[in-house]
Amino acid sequence: MGHRESNMTKHYSEADLLETYYMQPGQSMPVMMHLAECAECKAKYERLERKLREAAVCDTEKPATFWTRQRLSIMRRVDGQREHGERFTRNLRVAAAALLAFFLGGAVVYKSLQPALKTPPVAISDHALPAPPKTNDELQVPRDPWQSDELQDFHAVVQWESWMNDTKKKAGS
Amino acid sequence: MGSVASFRLSQFNESAPSDRELIARTLGGDGGAFALLVERFQRKIFRVAFAIVRDDMEADTIAQDTFIQAYTHLARFEGRSEFETWLTRIAINRSRDSLRRRRFVSLWRTGESDEREMILEPVDDRPDPEREFMARQLRVAIERAERTLSAQQKLIFRLRHYENRSLEDIAELLGLRAGTVRAHLFRAVHKIRKELAEWVTGSRT
Repeated sequence: MGHRESNMTKHYSEADLLETYYMQPGQSMPVMMHLAECAECKAKYERLERKLREAAVCDTEKPATFWTRQRLSIMRRVDGQREHGERFTRNLRVAAAALLAFFLGGAVVYKSLQPALKTPPVAISDHALPAPPKTNDELQVPRDPWQSDELQDFHAVVQWESWMNDTKKKAGS
Repeated sequence: MGSVASFRLSQFNESAPSDRELIARTLGGDGGAFALLVERFQRKIFRVAFAIVRDDMEADTIAQDTFIQAYTHLARFEGRSEFETWLTRIAINRSRDSLRRRRFVSLWRTGESDEREMILEPVDDRPDPEREFMARQLRVAIERAERTLSAQQKLIFRLRHYENRSLEDIAELLGLRAGTVRAHLFRAVHKIRKELAEWVTGSRT
């Protein structure tokens, strides 16, 4: 702070008083006590205070039109923001509804397709087997293919080969 | 624009609803109630913004933005402090952002200061033109001295100097401890006292 001893021969400088002014004079008890006793310093302080107060005056006095314009501008922006908020909320609701419908629809479709997708394995039984075809062609097919008409001419050879096999088996045994 | 159209100045004369009542009405969708709040506090908010940024247009923008931000977050206002204090805090924060932005921009502009060059206006024909001239010169000296301050120091100094706010008040508005504010202000005053010393001595009065 740089203040001197509280006696009448030493006084505060403007710089000291400047600091006192800004750092709340009411809390600087030694300075205030000195100012109460010293008329010279008190006058100096009062002069300084007046000058600083004058310098601090802000010219914020505006015509009524300025405040009206500012107020209208604020309210216009507030309304715009409210509309924007409402539009956003509306869009959000529509989007949420669409999303919900999509999922619900998906769920319904899934449920309806679920039995087809999860077919249980069919147990094969005699009863379940389809009946054998009973066409005329199938009925005319002989049980032994060697007995067919087409192979009738080769019957002798077949019999011979069968005989050969039988001979070989007998010889082997 | 419905609320603007429905806003009537005659409403002010009917009664003086409390801030809380107007807030409740605003939250209920009454745009006219918010217009009343704007009307009630716009001068104070503009003055605080102007005290910090020292520019008419910027202070106007900050005041408008303050009310828009307050409207947007009105539901979050818990009422632990006065509505005016809450608004002032918003305005101060915005003004501080503006100061910081200005300081940041000045870094990229070589040779330019972060503040507008102060121009001494001609003395007008008020009752005491010489005194007025001295006040202006002191004002210029203060603004020149402020250039050495950080954004935070400048903010605190300006709230103290122009708004004549107490240290406790500043601490509450900035959400700081009184001791922190005192330390910032002390450093700020020390920085500018040399610049101001010649203007506050008796020889310059």
